[in-house]
Amino acid sequence: MLRERGPEVALARELTPGQKRVTPASVVADLAILAWFVFSLFPLVWMVLLALKNDADQTSTYFRFSPTTANFGTVLSQRGQDLTSVDFGQAMLTSVLNCAGAVLVSLVVGIPAAYAAGRWKFKGSEDLMFQMLSFRFAPELMVIVPLFVIYNTLGVFDTKLGMVWVLQLVTMPLVVWILRSYFQDLSPELEQAALLDGYTRRRAFLTVALPLVRPGIAAAALLAFIFAWNNYLFPLILTDSAATTVTVAVTKYLGGGGQAYYNLTAAAALLGALPPLVLALTIQRYLVRGLSFGAVKA
Amino acid sequence: MASVSIDHVSKTYGSGSSAVRALEDVDLSIEDGEFFVVLGPSGAGKTTLLKSVAGLVEVEAGDVRIDGTSMEGVEPYHRNVAMAFESYALYPQKTVFDNLASPLRSGRTGRYSAEQQRQRIEAVTTTLGIDHLLKRFPRELSNGQRQRVALGRVLVRPADVYLLDEPLSHLDAKLRAAMRAELKQLGEMSRTTSLYVTHDYQEALALGDRIAVLRSGRVVQVGTPEQIWREPVDTFVAKALGQPEINLFEVEASGDRLRGAGGALELPAPAHLELPGGRARVGVRPRDLALGAPGGADALHLRGRVVLAERLGRLMEFSVRVGGQDGGEDVIVVADSDAGAREGELVDLHLPLTNVHVFAAGPAGEETVRLGGAAR
Repeated sequence: MLRERGPEVALARELTPGQKRVTPASVVADLAILAWFVFSLFPLVWMVLLALKNDADQTSTYFRFSPTTANFGTVLSQRGQDLTSVDFGQAMLTSVLNCAGAVLVSLVVGIPAAYAAGRWKFKGSEDLMFQMLSFRFAPELMVIVPLFVIYNTLGVFDTKLGMVWVLQLVTMPLVVWILRSYFQDLSPELEQAALLDGYTRRRAFLTVALPLVRPGIAAAALLAFIFAWNNYLFPLILTDSAATTVTVAVTKYLGGGGQAYYNLTAAAALLGALPPLVLALTIQRYLVRGLSFGAVKA
Repeated sequence: MASVSIDHVSKTYGSGSSAVRALEDVDLSIEDGEFFVVLGPSGAGKTTLLKSVAGLVEVEAGDVRIDGTSMEGVEPYHRNVAMAFESYALYPQKTVFDNLASPLRSGRTGRYSAEQQRQRIEAVTTTLGIDHLLKRFPRELSNGQRQRVALGRVLVRPADVYLLDEPLSHLDAKLRAAMRAELKQLGEMSRTTSLYVTHDYQEALALGDRIAVLRSGRVVQVGTPEQIWREPVDTFVAKALGQPEINLFEVEASGDRLRGAGGALELPAPAHLELPGGRARVGVRPRDLALGAPGGADALHLRGRVVLAERLGRLMEFSVRVGGQDGGEDVIVVADSDAGAREGELVDLHLPLTNVHVFAAGPAGEETVRLGGAAR
């Protein structure tokens, strides 16, 4: 026998965890999310497809697809180097070294800076923080010409040292701003307790504060690495061949005057996306928390 | 072990219009081995006072001396003081054992072998009843347990001065009473100069060798529990001590009697006191009032109607309306439950003049100084 659905039944339905009521609004919202996913993921799908196409299919206006993994081999082989005059493997290594260097410098300098900025208000501390953030306001294009001149004068053009130096401009503000909010979330009484336990300020920082912001450090480091990795303009202008990076190497397949190898470009781009992807998956847990800028307390 | 003297210390937080005066010319001197309690409502500057002794806040005027040595410019880790924070401030990434071992491992509180550390920690945790929690992390403890760990981190080490910031506030009532009784008997406590901050007058009276009452950053009164209880310096101190609060009445001289509450209250005018304008306030503690037949001529009398009778176990709390319709006031009386008064009944209340406090008259809501007792 069918029973009439009373209001209490509807209430019980609503209260069931994990269950959602289907309404016109929720359907529209779901469709909108789906559309957004298609929109944002399509370039990636296109790139994967392109990377798997052979030379004959890549420019065809019909969708012809006989997948091959040969492109990845080509990118990493001597032939790839002949086409672009860049050793892709070498560029990968350079990128890793550049970015790791920039992140390392940012952490070594940025962690104490973030701690100082988070813990103490001193004359101009807010101005200093704003100044640091303002590095990111101006488009890189604005500073690239003077930088080029300076780099040539100082003799750091096309060197890894020069790249670490310039990429650090990208990563440092990120590290300082993220970690400052992590330090601000820590009760200063923890370090005060350590001081009274007989530890110096340095040891209170190292043994009490620092271990507690470890997730923040991981997140900031990862984000900084990704930002540095994806930087294109600095290596494009400030390197030639000795310190050239993945982002620049990838675009060489588009051909400067010669033939454009879209499939090889896509394959190289996919290979180039691997290191940050692997890194992100390794510490993904911390990444989400880092993006919330320390707002969520442990 | 050391004496502590706090010389005219002032501290302001913030600046300009948002400045908050936390301490104003606080002048205290705590003797070697003394258990000194600072009593005051929240926001009175109690924690700031402790932190200035610890060196965790910089005072802008005055000086703190420990064992006669000025602490100006002395880092907290060189002061040899231990502090239990009201927020506990336990290291979240360390177990209870490691939290307690932290002061023993810093090298500034003495050298301890691993075995000595273990022994000290076991001794103190057994006393505090937390010896079964040593492997836990602070997040796995109740607030009461955390508070005891914070207290343990103080007691586990030798120090010149113990600074205790509301160390019993988060314990449940029974445990608090038990800990209060135990705290003073702890060997470490009885030997070490302790500065104990609380807003609980019972803790202050029970524990303190001496008590300082703090109000809005100023020391209002310093004295033994007996002095503070018997001779509160003003209505603020009188109200701060005792639950229910002291009853205050505005009275006026008429002849050689003082009358108040629309004539329902009367007592002989104290000849030894100067009452400006013949006006004053009298303070009567709820526990001092007695129900029943009027006492002699040299007692305070009150007559009123019981409006509320609440049973508190063996005792009962009565609200008695005195002074009829115009200018009626409620008096709180705590008496034995067999006093026999019922709601709606007219009762007589009296108490000997020795227990009546006379304060200066003043506008409503303003604290006034104590002139003396109604009896000489």
